[in-house]
Amino acid sequence: MADVSVPSLILFIASIVIAAGVAGVLIDTVTGISGALDDRGADVADNIRTDVEIISSAESGVYDTDTVTLYVKNTGRRTLPATGETFDVIVDAQYRTNVSVDVVDGGDEWTPHGVVEVRIGDLPLDNGDHPITLTVDGDEEIFRFNI
Amino acid sequence: MGFGVSGSTAVIFLGILIASGTLYTAAAGSAEQISEARDEDSEDLLDRRNTELEITSVSYDNSTDELEINVTNRGTTTLSVDGASVLVDNGFETANSTRVEGDESTDVWGENQTLVINVSDVTAEPDRVKVVAENGVADGNSTVEVI
Repeated sequence: MADVSVPSLILFIASIVIAAGVAGVLIDTVTGISGALDDRGADVADNIRTDVEIISSAESGVYDTDTVTLYVKNTGRRTLPATGETFDVIVDAQYRTNVSVDVVDGGDEWTPHGVVEVRIGDLPLDNGDHPITLTVDGDEEIFRFNI
Repeated sequence: MGFGVSGSTAVIFLGILIASGTLYTAAAGSAEQISEARDEDSEDLLDRRNTELEITSVSYDNSTDELEINVTNRGTTTLSVDGASVLVDNGFETANSTRVEGDESTDVWGENQTLVINVSDVTAEPDRVKVVAENGVADGNSTVEVI
């Protein structure tokens, strides 16, 4: 009897150990995917809640001595950080890094309904039409003006 | 051998059960977040479509440097007075005082009501005035009456 049960027991333990290993790897992988899905959901929801609008008119006054000054209103439902890093600015198909942002309607934060002044510096532009693309958390705004 | 097969099957099924539970919770959570955000977004869109502004008159007092803007809410969305922004000659101005139907403290700017915005320290006669509602809907006026 003992001759039969010892190998059976070893096989039984081995199969349980392998099954537990497989189940462990499965749970671990799915937990990772769940975490990523959760983060992605939150990010997409934030992107949907973000909405900004350029309220400046396309007059020549927006451009003055190598600097473009635009007023941008937060028309979404989220408070956004009022820093140059919030904005991805592309002027004439070139990415611009000299961007400074100030809240102009009081307060330190760019709350919903708030307005910020965005200044894009180091911008020697020729006469003609120029498109500016502002991207804030996936919300893209295009502003075109002529000088 | 028989026990080994059923035991390991049970362990693997348990693993699948736990994994699908985790995955479902994460998927349902993020789907709910996204659909909530979409819901808010479409509500905002409806409000925006029901919004219309009309600047009925702009008068500039040369002696006191004060600008008075009369804006009527021609849409059906009730707007916030604090959410409105004023641009004078494409520059952001903070309102000195606002009143709706004679009430200076109110924040409610309802349908067909006229908001009177007073801006002080406007040194030169402005050419163009623009008022932007909280959701980005705007109206401009270049007919400035000088008193």
